[in-house]
Amino acid sequence: MNLWQQLDKLDRRWVFLLVWIAAVIPLIVPATFKISISPEGKSLFEAVDRLPDSSTVILTFDIWPNALAETEPMERAALHHLFRKNMYVITVANIPLGGPSVAERVTRELAAQYGKTYGVDYVNLGYKPGYVSVLRGMGTSIEGIFPTDNSGTPLSELPLMQRVKNYEQVDFIFVVADNATVDYWVSIVNAQFRKPVGAGVTAVMAPKQFAYVGSGQLVGLLGGMKGAAEYEKLVGKSGLATTGMGMQSLVHFLLIALIVVGNVGYIVTRQVARTRERKVKA
Amino acid sequence: MKTTVPLIIAFLAGLAMVLSFFSGPGVPVVRDISAEFLIWSSIIGGFSFLLGVVSITRVNWRKVAARQHGWGYNLVTVISVFVMGLPALIPAGWLPEGMTSLAGRNAGSVYDWLFVNIMTPMSQTMFAILAFYIASAAYRAFRTRSTEATLLLLTASLVMLWRVPMGEALLNTITPALPDFINTYIMNGVNLSVQRGIIIGAALGAATMSLRIILGIERTYMGKG
Repeated sequence: MNLWQQLDKLDRRWVFLLVWIAAVIPLIVPATFKISISPEGKSLFEAVDRLPDSSTVILTFDIWPNALAETEPMERAALHHLFRKNMYVITVANIPLGGPSVAERVTRELAAQYGKTYGVDYVNLGYKPGYVSVLRGMGTSIEGIFPTDNSGTPLSELPLMQRVKNYEQVDFIFVVADNATVDYWVSIVNAQFRKPVGAGVTAVMAPKQFAYVGSGQLVGLLGGMKGAAEYEKLVGKSGLATTGMGMQSLVHFLLIALIVVGNVGYIVTRQVARTRERKVKA
Repeated sequence: MKTTVPLIIAFLAGLAMVLSFFSGPGVPVVRDISAEFLIWSSIIGGFSFLLGVVSITRVNWRKVAARQHGWGYNLVTVISVFVMGLPALIPAGWLPEGMTSLAGRNAGSVYDWLFVNIMTPMSQTMFAILAFYIASAAYRAFRTRSTEATLLLLTASLVMLWRVPMGEALLNTITPALPDFINTYIMNGVNLSVQRGIIIGAALGAATMSLRIILGIERTYMGKG
């Protein structure tokens, strides 16, 4: 068995080990990288930045816990931007497990940094099942869908929600999602209620969302950890996404190297087999 | 009667939604009716969770009771459902003074502790393992078997490089125009047009299905073909 044949039959545990090494090295030797800003990320940042101070923004936590590495940095960067501009933030989740808890933890932590008061400057609506009904229903009455906030306090007792009755009093929707709910924010809230929507999504979801950016239904887009790192750079708050770029870079390079090696092995092995066939025929 | 009543309800509910969309805020009666339907829809969605809890308990408990192979895992599943769910649902007033913060879903509650310390790390571990399998699969299966496969391979490799700072720096050394080329012609060109086709196709399918349900042609939701 020659080298290429051996590589072709390489035990998968060697591949796992290489991925592990590529993921661990940047943790031991941290390195900083120049993060370029994509046109879509810049456009989202500028859309939020153009909003007058003290606007009201809905920030969604449509996220499961498994994709937090990509979505939580986006939420944090967005909250830095929103609180810094003294915006009123209403958080909502269309995912039962993850969103409401992460919203509670992350929003309260950042609100404390900016001296914001719960109920006055920000509210966590929590989760209600049936995202199509929830998104449509909030257009008529937020209180109709969410009679209480995530902690069970009636919305009528929260000063911010006494003012915000439906989408009419909302200036921008910042969707962070790791699933299909972003499509409904576009097709229901943007298309039917004419509210500007921007999105931060996981890397695997990003290619689809380019269609909505192209049609103007999304004002901008953050894709995966790179998108989160872009927003961190734009708001000037380096966080987990910026740190994670080293790890992601090395793993991507490793994947490409493995694909190249695998293909060279495949081509050489195929060539050898063809030559042997020809010899046998001759 | 068992068929007609659900059909009438589906027709009226669908009609209310369609009318409310086209009438806008101008017709308050239609708007109020559709708002009521939406609230009911959300409530019904909540009951589906109850159904889920009953179903997962029944299926797993049956296996535990019969001591089927691997029944220990089923027992852990049932216990996990209730240990995670009950503290989140119990009203704080039911707990003794000093322990009220353990109820509910806020920071410091039992639910939150389990979510942060067990649920999140386990979910993230499962997700992270995907990276190892993807690497192994890419090494074995991503081969230049045909022209289409080669094009896909080259495009994927370019996009993977473009999405990380080190890769983008490498592409810039080849030519600074390459990252822009990928964004303009691959993501906002080929990818965008294909995604649009898929989205329009799916939307047409959804519209057709909705019409079939409103008009009573599609009855699978009643357990009929």
